[in-house]
Amino acid sequence: MTLELVVTLIIAAAMFGTGIYGALSQTNLVMIMMGIELILAAALLNLVAFWRYLHPDAIEAQMFVLIVMTVMAVEMAVGFAVAITRFRSRGSVEMEEAQELKG
Amino acid sequence: MSVQVIFLLAFGLAAVWFGIVVFRTHSMVRSALALLFSQTAVGAMFLVMQAEFLGVLQIMMMATEMSIMAIFMVMFMMDPGGLGEMDMKHQRKLSLWAGIIAFGGASGLALFGDWGPIATQIPDAGEQVRLLGIELLGRSMLIFESAGLTILTAMIAATSIAVQPPHRPKETPDKSKEPYQVHNHGGAA
Repeated sequence: MTLELVVTLIIAAAMFGTGIYGALSQTNLVMIMMGIELILAAALLNLVAFWRYLHPDAIEAQMFVLIVMTVMAVEMAVGFAVAITRFRSRGSVEMEEAQELKG
Repeated sequence: MSVQVIFLLAFGLAAVWFGIVVFRTHSMVRSALALLFSQTAVGAMFLVMQAEFLGVLQIMMMATEMSIMAIFMVMFMMDPGGLGEMDMKHQRKLSLWAGIIAFGGASGLALFGDWGPIATQIPDAGEQVRLLGIELLGRSMLIFESAGLTILTAMIAATSIAVQPPHRPKETPDKSKEPYQVHNHGGAA
């Protein structure tokens, strides 16, 4: 029975949808980063579910999880650095006020 | 319905609910805390799926990350407590539809995909960590080292972006290069 796998994948899908909504709808840079964190958490959940229920002998799957966690940490570090620079130069991290970045 | 499914459902619903709360509350600090609870529930799901090392790693990493996020929220927001009930959303319909379509598409794949039989036997926690260690320092060493190097690069890049630029004194115009300067050679004194 694949009920465990399907339940986990549907929960990951719900987190992915919530993350997409958040990343697109928010105007604050830190809130947009929160949406991206939810999307990456959904990816983590899928990876662990596929490893656990389909290929538990393939330990390389856990390697992928570590890589996604690295991406999360890097995204946070660089995102906050950009937020600090933006706040220092413009006094705000509202992306509505960053129209000059448009190409 | 097995005990594992019940726990997966409970932690999963908590993860999704706290994920929604992140974007519903007006308080930025509450948003960061809701995201922390959501990520912790995901870590608990890893534990239910018997991936103990990854579960503990997820909970520890996210607890630190979200605490830092809460501090940044307080630093950067005009109203971190949400008392003014500021609206910080745009393109609501587009975002909502994008989220619904993403959820529907991914759920459809999960429901109608042919996944085959699921595995019942998995290596125990100690064996998993041993195998992962051998994998990290063996076949996947290049990927592991690349991840470490990426984090180091991101740390240096983040510090260089965020560091305060040196204060430059205002440049005073060099008067000797002005074209119509009248030079006084001391003869008229």
